[in-house]
Amino acid sequence: MIEGLYQQMKQSVLDGDYELAETLAKKALELGIDPLEAINNGYMPGVNEVGQLFSCGEMFLPELVQAGEAMKIAIAIFEPEMARRGSQRESLGKVVLGTVEGDIHEIGKTLVGTMLTANGFEVFDLGVDVSVSRLIEKALEVNADLIGASALLTTTMIKQKSLVDELKAEGLDKRFKVMVGGAPVTQEWAQRIGAHGYSEDAIGAVAVAKRLVGKAG
Amino acid sequence: MKLTAEILSRDEQQRIHDHSLRVLWEAGVQFHSLKALKLLAEAGATVDWETKIARIPEKLVIQTLETAPKSFVLGARNSSYDYPMPSPHTRYTMDGTSAFATDFETGERRYGTLKDLERGVRVFMAADMGVMCWPPCCASDAPDGSRPLHEFLTMLRFCSKHGNHELHHPNQVPYFVAALKAICGDDDAVRQRKIASVVYCPVAPLMHDAEMCDAYLDLGAYDVPILILPMPATGTTGPASLFSNIVQGNAEALSSIVLYQLARPGRPLIYGSASGSLDFASGGFLTGVPEMVLQTAAMAVMGRFYGLPNTATGCVSDAKATGIQAVIEKVITTLPAVLVSADLVSGIGEIETSQNLILEQVLIDNEIAHFCERLHQGVDTSPQKDLIEDIIHVGPGGNFLKARSTRVMARSDEFYIPQLAVRQSYENWLALGSPDMRDRAREKVREILNSPLVDPLPEVVSREIDEILREADKELSAEE
Repeated sequence: MIEGLYQQMKQSVLDGDYELAETLAKKALELGIDPLEAINNGYMPGVNEVGQLFSCGEMFLPELVQAGEAMKIAIAIFEPEMARRGSQRESLGKVVLGTVEGDIHEIGKTLVGTMLTANGFEVFDLGVDVSVSRLIEKALEVNADLIGASALLTTTMIKQKSLVDELKAEGLDKRFKVMVGGAPVTQEWAQRIGAHGYSEDAIGAVAVAKRLVGKAG
Repeated sequence: MKLTAEILSRDEQQRIHDHSLRVLWEAGVQFHSLKALKLLAEAGATVDWETKIARIPEKLVIQTLETAPKSFVLGARNSSYDYPMPSPHTRYTMDGTSAFATDFETGERRYGTLKDLERGVRVFMAADMGVMCWPPCCASDAPDGSRPLHEFLTMLRFCSKHGNHELHHPNQVPYFVAALKAICGDDDAVRQRKIASVVYCPVAPLMHDAEMCDAYLDLGAYDVPILILPMPATGTTGPASLFSNIVQGNAEALSSIVLYQLARPGRPLIYGSASGSLDFASGGFLTGVPEMVLQTAAMAVMGRFYGLPNTATGCVSDAKATGIQAVIEKVITTLPAVLVSADLVSGIGEIETSQNLILEQVLIDNEIAHFCERLHQGVDTSPQKDLIEDIIHVGPGGNFLKARSTRVMARSDEFYIPQLAVRQSYENWLALGSPDMRDRAREKVREILNSPLVDPLPEVVSREIDEILREADKELSAEE
């Protein structure tokens, strides 16, 4: 029976069916299933499969986003029980995320956040128009592993360089790894400014983040 | 008659307008500029100061559409390039502000520089279908704080057609105005000649940023025209149907019109759009697709619905290299905009979703523009083209080569004589080394770049602009 439930959970993620994902999470709690077991055996395989299918072009962006949302909704249902049990998902690392100052484009950055969360990172999304100092302050506050800075405009990508420069100036460049992304951003740009990671899309960003925290594989 | 396209019925235009009014009032529009919010609140919009969302009532839309000029002349540094809008013909803008440029000599794709920009606009000067220049690439080698000024003024220095670009911050406005005065003579001439305009992209969905918005409000004092260019993409920053994305783009355009007309009634505006289509597989913004141009052509029609000069994004491609895909996409994204008689199609010279400037492409796109214009002109049945008497005179078995009308028509607009297309016989073509359009475009580009600068600025003005830029570099970089 539990296997059947896990299968349904996976399917709810594949279908981006929020209501079903939520109902199944509640059902798991009623049955006394360990939330971590349900996440790892039910929802997570769905997220992984969606990620793989998206990478090879077989699933589309809205399906990817809605899979991530279904997973988030299920986790939210489990959170009180996980807190009660004193258990938590194994965190792959903490990521502070934001669109750089002067730029209010949100979608790419939020998508990266969703995918990182779905894959086990703890994400602190500061939103858009975020100054370098706010990114660094938050990273210090939560003891982050990574800072992700998004820029859609050729005029704002320079703030990604400001972030890297500021971290160096404050002697924090060894402590926080920096990931950059956004339409005009390239691997070449990332290298030029001294960022540690770059990805063209949200799935790639997960792989880069895992590599940067030494959890690749 | 002319070959035209009908893309929205009158009823459909009215529905888009009515839906847009609902969006403006029920969802509202977020303005990050406090100045903008104050203007809107004073004029009767309902402003939530916390969320910065202004709900805009219909009466403000109607009132500001009335004050927006229905025609004006887009001036040029060389007045023979002045372009009255609306226009009976479709003309073109340069595509603008790509991140990358393809090096003409090495073929390497790299971040654009001021030199690339200069070369791009010089080639654009030779594109006879082009009337509005736009810095074709960003200048990654210009100082950050003053970069748009370098881009704007390099364009105006090397191109004497109308120039359009953007400013990012109010602190750039005084330098820009000083440069316009240096070129035009004085404040009045700046207002009257309108040799430069600014492009304004509301941020989809339904947002306006602060600094660019404030800069453009400041430029109102000089009647600098604004090209309004909403860019919602179906399925990400806009809803996932063409019709509804048009509604949203139209609402974003109307919200811009309301703001800038409230701030300065009578300021010239161009109603445009660069709505995109989502690549569902990658999340990328697509332009070289039918779904894009259906939206921008439809929005050009909405511009006409409001009686405003208009522009539609077209002649664009998502191809990563010049060649078959690029040309197919450019043709399909040009023709519908031409067939609805857009005043301007934006723009030519780039591939890779407007992210890569290729000098040869400027001239290839100019050729596409000519072909599309010829299609749009259709079959002319006027008395000048009615040659029935010649048919009767020549009769069965003769030919028309000796007819006077043939000689006249051969050099008239009845037949477009291509600038690049290869039409030699096969043997001649082989003998010439089998050139294709791109080879011929390369030759012409080389010729243009080796020729003396067209319409150079007077030395004294050029020096003044150098001084303005030096000052801007010093002051604005210090503020960074």
